[in-house]
Amino acid sequence: MKNIYKIGMTMALSASVLAGCGGSSGTQGADGGSAEKVQLTVWHNWTGQDAKAIAMRQILDDFQASHPNIELEVEGLPTDGLKTRLRTVAAADEMPDLFVMWPDAMTKEFVNGGLLQPIDEFLDSKPEWKNNFIPNALDGYTVDGKIYSVPMNLAPSSFIYYNQAIFDQYGVKVPETWDELKAAIDTFNKNNVIPIALGNKANWVVQSTIFSTIADRVTGTDWLLKAVNQDGAKFTDPQFIEALKVLQDLGNAKAFQDGFNSIDENQMIQLYNQGKAAMFIDGGWALANLVKTAPQEVLDKTHITILPPIEGGKGDPQSTSGVVGTGMGVSKKLEGARKDAAMELLYALSGPEGQKATLDSSTLVSYNIELDEAKAHPLFVELNNLMKETKISPVYDSKLSSAAVEVVNNGLQELLMGGNPETIAQKIQDAQAGAIGK
Amino acid sequence: MNTLRIRRFVVMGLLPSLLIYALFVFVPVVWSAYYGFFDWKGIGEAKFIGLGNYAEILRDPVFWRALKNNVIFVLASVFGQVPIALVLAIMLNKSNMLQRFLRSAIFMPMVLSAVVIGMIWQYIYHPQIGILNFLLDALGLESWKLQWLSDPNIAIFSLTPPLIWSFVGLYLIIFMSALQNIPGDIHDAAQIDGATGARKLFSVTLPMIWGTIQVALILCISGSLKSFDLVYIMTKGGPAHATELLATYMYNSTFSSYRYGFGSAISTSIVLISLLFIGTSQWLTSRRKNG
Repeated sequence: MKNIYKIGMTMALSASVLAGCGGSSGTQGADGGSAEKVQLTVWHNWTGQDAKAIAMRQILDDFQASHPNIELEVEGLPTDGLKTRLRTVAAADEMPDLFVMWPDAMTKEFVNGGLLQPIDEFLDSKPEWKNNFIPNALDGYTVDGKIYSVPMNLAPSSFIYYNQAIFDQYGVKVPETWDELKAAIDTFNKNNVIPIALGNKANWVVQSTIFSTIADRVTGTDWLLKAVNQDGAKFTDPQFIEALKVLQDLGNAKAFQDGFNSIDENQMIQLYNQGKAAMFIDGGWALANLVKTAPQEVLDKTHITILPPIEGGKGDPQSTSGVVGTGMGVSKKLEGARKDAAMELLYALSGPEGQKATLDSSTLVSYNIELDEAKAHPLFVELNNLMKETKISPVYDSKLSSAAVEVVNNGLQELLMGGNPETIAQKIQDAQAGAIGK
Repeated sequence: MNTLRIRRFVVMGLLPSLLIYALFVFVPVVWSAYYGFFDWKGIGEAKFIGLGNYAEILRDPVFWRALKNNVIFVLASVFGQVPIALVLAIMLNKSNMLQRFLRSAIFMPMVLSAVVIGMIWQYIYHPQIGILNFLLDALGLESWKLQWLSDPNIAIFSLTPPLIWSFVGLYLIIFMSALQNIPGDIHDAAQIDGATGARKLFSVTLPMIWGTIQVALILCISGSLKSFDLVYIMTKGGPAHATELLATYMYNSTFSSYRYGFGSAISTSIVLISLLFIGTSQWLTSRRKNG
């Protein structure tokens, strides 16, 4: 009798454990009825306490409050986590209904996987919105002539943030040519100041913030686009090897502090904040971090510029690498009332009001609106004005295949540790050719 | 009749855990072996390429480097963690204040998460503000200062002290409980026979806990073959693959390069290599016991 009771308990327990496991994966199955409540799952990366994240979460909350018939199931993930998670659910064909995604490579892969639906129809119904984006802003979200999203911000990935006080102290001019940059590096090294702080432990930093701009200056944008498609250009071409050498040359000139491959991006900004470094090179996103963490005396003396031109290069010197920012992707599975609800939310987040909220939170946008200079931080005003006269050139990790990006990132670490440019170029060439099947 | 009932009860009792084990361990292992035969980006069509991924692994210098680093980790664990823990267990087997304090101090890293351990050691090794280089400076040993984590030749060795430090506590506890399980009359008998000190240690104590040492070795080998978190936090496998382990390489191939098939092939290789290592160590230790 006692035994039977025990067996019963065991069965009941195991059944409940198994049921618990099943329940957590069932969130995708929710189907909203047409007349009643509509459910939408939304994934985003606005998890931080920075102004942008707070502003975007506010929009979501307001939207929820004013649309009682739509039930949002919102999930926030840190950026790297979101990227990985999206790829994982993409493999299982279980995309959330509406999610933050990245232009170019990611959008293309999702479209080719049949996971997204175009938003042309909705976009065309609001021409005053569609026509107000800056030139080429929608290119990264356009696949085979169809538009799949619109950018919610603009993410230039390469600026020199410099401390004017340190430049003045050693009588160094803010570099406007490559030679002046090299001279500045020499002077700072002689005076035991780190010329450029760098944190390349997460190995995309050099690629995204420094090399993409250097390479564009040397090879020009057209060459990259050809090399990406392996159409008349290869990564073993002399101009690309030249670009690698320019970067290696910077490393040999001791432009970066010792051990830069073992510290991360935050520790890099730390070195700058402590006044140990005269410059650091990072994307527009670093501004928010800097404004929040830098001591006042450093922040007051901080200014922003772009990498100087490289002599003999084919690229436009008044440009810097970058991508239009993230956009909301719409799952292909949405139909009827749920699709309408998703479009409405997309418009709330990336329509004129969403763009204004983004700009007001000190984040650049790919949309034509004026910045209220009285309210914004002076450094952001400076950045916004700099971007008005600067063009965007492609970032390597947005154009190359994921496999080749990993090879580039590791290759650049190797390059800065004295690796051979030709060998590294060959590896990149093999990876890209392999990934697109040529 | 009664034995049948007991047997049936044992089966019923084991069934749930067996089911869960099969569902979450065995099935994924088989699946990933299956995915290893495909060229698959994770999205869209998977293309069957037979043994293509495995052939690429054999030719891939990064894979061999990762394997070599894993072997370094296994050796550091087997010859670091286990002997240190054993010596400490023998020394700390009594229970006065100092020994109790030392035991807790040694066990403490076990309750810290790998992220915390990684962060602590990252700051110890920090190239500009790290305490290690600072200490070497203070001791007048400037020439010993190194780029601990960014010099590709030494980075993997710099990772072994945190690894050993964080797991010694676990083996200490295992060995101490084994020591306490030796019946008192065996000690008495040894004393009557006049075995003391080193003689007693090697002829009585160690043989009595040999089974536990064997288990510890297996835990140690399998643990260090699948180690991932510490390296991922401290170096992410870099710079330029210098500290890549099989597990980080598998992760990076799958979730950074998005080559699910290739990553699956690597994880299948990890399973095979682990079985090989554990089989060998089992064979070695049991042979020694019998011989």
